[in-house]
Amino acid sequence: MAPEMSDASQFSVSSMAAQQNILRERLHRLLATLHPLLQYDVLQALKGAGKLLSQPDTEINSLAPILPAGIWPLLTLLIAQHLSPDIHPEYASSVAVAVECFVCALDLLDDVEDDDQTPIVRAIGIPRVLNVSTALLSLTHRAILSVAEQAVDPAIIIRLLNALHECTLTATSGQHRDLLAESRSARNFSHEECIEIASAKAGSIMRLACRLGAICGGADDTLCDRFSELGELLGIAHQLDNDCHDLYYLLQDEKDAVIPVEASGTTRTSIKSDLKRGKKTLPVVLAEEIMAALQKAAESSDGESKRYRKALQEGIIATWGICLLYRERARERLQEIEVQKPVSPELLFLLGI
Amino acid sequence: MEELQIQEFVHRVSTDEVLRKELATSPDTVIMREGFSPRVARVIMRLVPHLAMEKSLEPSLYFWSN
Repeated sequence: MAPEMSDASQFSVSSMAAQQNILRERLHRLLATLHPLLQYDVLQALKGAGKLLSQPDTEINSLAPILPAGIWPLLTLLIAQHLSPDIHPEYASSVAVAVECFVCALDLLDDVEDDDQTPIVRAIGIPRVLNVSTALLSLTHRAILSVAEQAVDPAIIIRLLNALHECTLTATSGQHRDLLAESRSARNFSHEECIEIASAKAGSIMRLACRLGAICGGADDTLCDRFSELGELLGIAHQLDNDCHDLYYLLQDEKDAVIPVEASGTTRTSIKSDLKRGKKTLPVVLAEEIMAALQKAAESSDGESKRYRKALQEGIIATWGICLLYRERARERLQEIEVQKPVSPELLFLLGI
Repeated sequence: MEELQIQEFVHRVSTDEVLRKELATSPDTVIMREGFSPRVARVIMRLVPHLAMEKSLEPSLYFWSN
């Protein structure tokens, strides 16, 4: 289960809030260099749900735990502090806010590329969203380069930038494959490809958040790799969890809304939204494999719509199982890391395992 | 491959009522018989209520969605 604040009462909420404030203060200083008109839009993006500058959600939602804003930079910061408790706050927070800017920039690009009408897209429109994304990518670099002022070894700065570039190329490759997959039939798509795309997208970004924290905290190559793997496994698990829950809730909400659409020249029953857009998420691809097997067996007298719904439900359960598998693997990586030193309750809470 | 093991087991349980009933009454026996690794066995144990009793999917495990 997701950690709830009550489960994580071992750690101080005020300690987490203090870390957030350090990050916010560093982020505001970074943004102060922008022209006020651009700064206004960048601030709007950074105030989006879950982002570091977002307002706390006061709505009570029993399905979602109460979460700190800015979990990505917090992860980087807490890993750096775990490895190097006396690390200079300016150094660690600069690297951490670089992660926040980077993740926000990629999120904005995703919104546009996936044609999502998110609040920021509706508020400022696509041209400004793209410009804000460019600014945030530049701020990412500026934040990392700023650590030179803390007399950080240039070799470390190059390692940080290398990790950032590696992630950028991996994530954009994953996004490109994801976009191209929209026009491919799910039947010609393997579940291995789905995992590869999840790994390249969500996996590489969480890998980066962990790796930058590890580099910043002075970890050697082996420990950096362990933290990177931990992040990647959790990123994949997170993506699969999202995919199966999105589809699950869609099915719950649309019990009688299975609609016929034309796909690949044949009538195919489908669900709205993601399915219509042709996103090849793992539960959808697994459902197609199941449908193919059922049609081959021709043993069901159910209508196609009902069979497809059943196949989707099975795909959702299988995907959730695979998500749990990745979390188990992440837990094992964490145990390897904790052989040297147990992580703080705050970090454990953020990792969610 | 562990992913495939999970996928195949979910499919078998979904299509085999006898196996589904056995899983509901004695999950340990079924899991032991299948010879899963400890890691896969832990995952299957989490899935049992959903596979055997058609329980709703648990709330999202994770919160990194924003």
